Amino acid sequence: MTTRTGSSAKKAPPGFRKKLSHFLYRHQGIEGVLYIIPFVVVWALFLAWPVIYGIYISLHEWQGLRGAKFVGFDNYIELFTDPRFWNAFANTLKFSAMVIPLIMFFGLLFALMLWGWGRTRKGVALIQASMFFPYLLTISIIALVWRWLLDGDYGLILWALRSLGLPTPTFLSDTFWVLPALAFVTAWWLAGYRMVVFQAGLEDIPQDLFEAAKIDGTGPWKQFLHIIVPLLKPSLLFSLVLTIIAGFRTFGQVLMMTEGGPGRSSEVLALYLYQVGFDYFQIGKAAASGVILLLLVLMMTLIGVRIIGLKSELQ
Amino acid sequence: MRRIKRILPYIVMYGVAFLWMIPILWMADTAFKPDDEIFSSPPKWIPSHFTLDHVKEVITEWPFLKWLLQSVIVATTVTFGSLIVSTLAAYSFARLQWRGRDFLFIFFLIFMLLPFELNVIPLFFQMSKFGWLNTVPGVALPMIAMPIGVFLLRQFFINIPRELEDAARIDGCSSFGILWKVIVPISKPVFGAFGMFMFNMAWNEFFWSIICLQKSDLLTLPVGLRHLHGAFDINYGLFMAAAFMASLPSLFIFLILRRQIIRGFTLAGAGMKG
Repeated sequence: MTTRTGSSAKKAPPGFRKKLSHFLYRHQGIEGVLYIIPFVVVWALFLAWPVIYGIYISLHEWQGLRGAKFVGFDNYIELFTDPRFWNAFANTLKFSAMVIPLIMFFGLLFALMLWGWGRTRKGVALIQASMFFPYLLTISIIALVWRWLLDGDYGLILWALRSLGLPTPTFLSDTFWVLPALAFVTAWWLAGYRMVVFQAGLEDIPQDLFEAAKIDGTGPWKQFLHIIVPLLKPSLLFSLVLTIIAGFRTFGQVLMMTEGGPGRSSEVLALYLYQVGFDYFQIGKAAASGVILLLLVLMMTLIGVRIIGLKSELQ
Repeated sequence: MRRIKRILPYIVMYGVAFLWMIPILWMADTAFKPDDEIFSSPPKWIPSHFTLDHVKEVITEWPFLKWLLQSVIVATTVTFGSLIVSTLAAYSFARLQWRGRDFLFIFFLIFMLLPFELNVIPLFFQMSKFGWLNTVPGVALPMIAMPIGVFLLRQFFINIPRELEDAARIDGCSSFGILWKVIVPISKPVFGAFGMFMFNMAWNEFFWSIICLQKSDLLTLPVGLRHLHGAFDINYGLFMAAAFMASLPSLFIFLILRRQIIRGFTLAGAGMKG
């Protein structure tokens, strides 16, 4: 530390450095703002500005080299009168309605299982690892693997169902089964992360609560309802908000596993946006659907933040 | 009887874990099976002989290793970039007094969870104007300034005892000196957690990457797999070999750092809920 001060003191007039540091200390406002500049610049350029630019694009019609023509809300009107948009909207809601409970269910089930039964840490580690690992893989890998597992002719899952004498829908090319199948795959991918967050929440519950409950003769189900659920509420709500957002932005698994098919029965909003923009080059309309999707997610976030509460974050 | 009662939960748990791992095992199994045995019914778990044909095909016919390198470059850039900008900002939000600080923080908090990929259309035009499509900055920069990081680090910095900082200030440390010499050294666990979180996010990012990266040699692994998948119909041996090889880095790192990774993600997840 001393050497550093020494070397820079050579360049600056004596006392200057001290004065500067004193000045900055007295005017922490300036200093505080300096520190956030790098973050704010990157954030503004690549996260905030695209939102504004997206709104701009959505109000224009793009005519190739001739540039853009202002068309007001035409793109939005076109969007709202496009049955394909409403189909994608409905699919997104249906998919979310399935994937959110599935992820929460598996996450909580595994966490409770490991917490309740896993007395020795060593044995549990391997189990926990195998449930968490899929989360670390990219959606392309997940999609490829599950397309193979669910293959209509040679897929392992269809073979297993067939040998158990169960009905064998060809999941990914069946208009009824395609969304549930995609939801299950997504749950397989994400549940492990929810599990470790819930595990941490469970560890934080004071052990004496359960001992007291045991003395009172409270059964496991009542313990779950009256001790675990209320005390795990912050983790549960937080995971719920994250999962809802994940549901709304679902893209990769649908693009790679079904491309929205069969027909359009698995086309979700993010995929619709991608196809309208990059397959049909209806840039204005795609930007408009991006704005709508962003508003939906923002709304979900605000509701979530409302429920979880912001006050506590600021102490 | 008592013994059975003690062992039974473990049997159930290992059973469930095994079922959960079947997709991964089946992927690895298919990758090394000859084609005619991949398409056999009933499925064959143990192939009559192992083959490296699919693996060879992935490496020789596709720029798989270039994809791997590109993935490493992008994920590393994002991780270090976001660690630097987020640490500076979080320090200011946690430790320095300035007007409008809390207002601005709440403002970021609201945007914390907004997924940037929904901006792909404007981002595409913006990056093409900059000439940054098919480049590392183009794909990495939108991932760097994640408010979630500022939030997480701020949460940690706030709980560092003030006395440490005061002592350093008396010693004549500037605010940057305090950040560098006091805060950074004791924040290693949270940097580790956040760094892993960002690395994983960048390593797996898909939506923006498939739009920004189009040139075959410059793809990241997730995008490369998509191109490879699009080139064939049901070449499952090749698909599984590519998927298996693409998951090897994650698997290796996970095997070595399993405990730290799970703890890190828990910390990142639990830290965000506050």
